[in-house]
Amino acid sequence: MSAFLDVSSLSKRYTSKRGLFGAARSMYAVNDVSFQMTKGRVVGVVGESGCGKSTLARLILRLIEPSSGTVRFDGLDLLKQRPREMRRLRARMQMVFQDPYSAIDPRYTVADAVMEPFQIQGVRLSSAARSDMISGLLTMVGLNPGTASSYPHQLSGGQKQRIGIARALALKPALLVLDEPTASLDVSIQAQIVGLLERLQAEMGLTYLFISHDLALVKYFCDEVLVMYLGRVVEALPDTDAPARHPYTRTLLDSTFQPDPKLRRRIEPLAGEVPSPFDLGPGCAFATRCPRASERCRVETPLLAASGGGHAVACHHPD
Amino acid sequence: MSTILKVEGLRVAIGALTPLSSVSFSLEKGETLGLVGESGSGKSLTAMAIMGLLPLIGGRITGGSVVFDGSDLTALPEPAYRKLRGGRIGLIAQNPMTSLDPLKKVGPQIDVVARLHLGLDRSAARDRTVELLGELRIPEPASIYHLYPHQLSGGMKQRIVIAMALAADPDLLIADEPTTALDVTVQAQIIRLLSDLIRDRGLSMVLITHDMSVVAQACDKVVVMYAGTAVEYGTVAAIFDDPRHPYTKALIGCIPRGLAGAQRLKGIEGTVPSVAHYPQGCRFHPRCLRAEAICAAVSPPFIASHDGAAACHFAGAVG
Ligand SMILES: Nc1ncnc2c1ncn2[C@@H]1O[C@H](COP(=O)(O)OP(=O)(O)OP(=O)(O)O)[C@@H](O)[C@H]1O
Ligand SMILES: Nc1ncnc2c1ncn2[C@@H]1O[C@H](COP(=O)(O)OP(=O)(O)O)[C@@H](O)[C@H]1O
Ligand code: SF4
Ligand code: SF4
Ligand SMILES: [Mg+2]
Ligand SMILES: [Mg+2]
Repeated sequence: MSAFLDVSSLSKRYTSKRGLFGAARSMYAVNDVSFQMTKGRVVGVVGESGCGKSTLARLILRLIEPSSGTVRFDGLDLLKQRPREMRRLRARMQMVFQDPYSAIDPRYTVADAVMEPFQIQGVRLSSAARSDMISGLLTMVGLNPGTASSYPHQLSGGQKQRIGIARALALKPALLVLDEPTASLDVSIQAQIVGLLERLQAEMGLTYLFISHDLALVKYFCDEVLVMYLGRVVEALPDTDAPARHPYTRTLLDSTFQPDPKLRRRIEPLAGEVPSPFDLGPGCAFATRCPRASERCRVETPLLAASGGGHAVACHHPD
Repeated sequence: MSTILKVEGLRVAIGALTPLSSVSFSLEKGETLGLVGESGSGKSLTAMAIMGLLPLIGGRITGGSVVFDGSDLTALPEPAYRKLRGGRIGLIAQNPMTSLDPLKKVGPQIDVVARLHLGLDRSAARDRTVELLGELRIPEPASIYHLYPHQLSGGMKQRIVIAMALAADPDLLIADEPTTALDVTVQAQIIRLLSDLIRDRGLSMVLITHDMSVVAQACDKVVVMYAGTAVEYGTVAAIFDDPRHPYTKALIGCIPRGLAGAQRLKGIEGTVPSVAHYPQGCRFHPRCLRAEAICAAVSPPFIASHDGAAACHFAGAVG
């Protein structure tokens, strides 16, 4: 059986100049990323700021073009699709953005925003069907249909994020890529949105790629987890209880506090700085901070390798 | 133990609005007190009131007292306040760039504080800065001294701001979301650093955060804020193990305990009200599952006792 989403050796390289006459330097925002997703599963992507999570999301939906690699969705090679076919495919794969404040055009009413995907697809609806659709979508995400005529500035962050979700669901997609959908929200609103996503997933059998920098949230919400560091997937956990084997994943876990004073952590000092993502040399990108780094780590790049049971680690000395 | 800071019935007005009222707590020497709440709950206004910074935003204290080491600050004239700020009270702001001048090297910016408040000469101040940077585990402090803010990572910049706050050897630190903008691994290091400083230098700290996990990790006592008032006050153990206010309970139910067992997240219906729309009676009543008729009419009193207090009509009965 072929995977629902099959990402293979995907890379995105950016080149920039330091200053007006400086030498060009380049960095991989996403570097040789491969993974598969099974239909109906929730896969989390975690990592710190700048590790390439949003870039990966955009590459998967082909909102930006990769430098190399392939993305297959439901058996189709996305990079071979012509614009027309791509547009049709996009109805089946949608994205919810990091910042609900910028994701909605301020001149749009809620109704316009939710119906935008139909407009993009060139679908014409009768006015009765349109208003049924609007109230159906708003109700589905827990909003009063009366909000249809509101403008974004009249809504709270949580309401805006619900609209982002309603819009993403308008065309009944199979895959939803959620890029930190709750990062800018208060925890009480985050919990509402997460509850909504859980309900929608159960009702509609959706497949989610859920991006977050919050390890506790990912452990709570996801079935599988990909851990990224400086553009690469360094560990793929087959389930959220699998013990972490990569030193970076362990560092992330050890740095995540628990909402319980009885479970206080002894925080180990972490030496070393995150290297510049530009012109990274060979070797492991985590070597500057890794307590286990050996000579080999500094010269040979560790590649993601299966270690049994669906677990994969990119490390020369895993746990 | 002796009390370093005592805030009682603090009330703040900005123009015709009263965005903050009924805030009371006390902080003993060597303790860390967490001020926690969702955005807009009044955390930063409380900090600004303590620091005498309200005039900057057109605000003023209209009730209550702020007693620092035995003397009431509410009537302190600005010149005396200027000596206190950056002197015996150090401030760490959320965004390091509000404290750092982007056009000046970081070292001399720290020197200035020691010269102003401790009367050190140029070279003594510089020696002291380099020593302080070393104490904050900044690698190669003598060379970091000569760098500009943009040449430093976020975590490094925040350490420079902490160094500035410590430069005049304060007794009290006020840290307003000192780790909110940082990655988790960096956050853990900064929290470790602050905890070590409290212990080694006998400092006291008011730690402002929206993150209950940071509170659980780093605080001795907690004030929970909601819609511009303190709703509960107690030891960290009491707040997490036996919360008495329905909002505190609900807030704890919103946090994913992904790392310690699965428990379904419960959101809080509705949204946090803004100052212009603070409800009558108990400000939490439109969202409170426990609310009764009295809650919409009468605002519950907040009375501090030795082991804590809650502003709820049923605080005694809530089990
Ligand atoms: N259009 C672009 N041009 C140049 N560099 C880019 C571009 N887009 C992203 N980058 C760089 O690629 C890296 C990954 O960025 P990305 O936005 O994917 O990170 P992220 O993991 O989503 O971070 P965050 O948690 O802050 O959202 C960063 O170093 C970023 O500066
Ligand atoms: N300069 C200001 N003018 C008017 N209202 C303000 C001002 N600063 C803060 N407020 C209001 O006071 C309340 C508390 O704000 P703040 O202390 O900044 O919250 P927090 O730090 O908890 O997020 C909010 O409702 C906010 O909108
Ligand atoms: S490859 Fe080496 S440096 Fe990299 S994470 Fe593994 S042990 Fe650490
Ligand atoms: S006073 Fe009433 S509304 Fe307010 S928290 Fe208590 S029970 Fe809820
Ligand atoms: Mg991002
Ligand atoms: Mg604030």
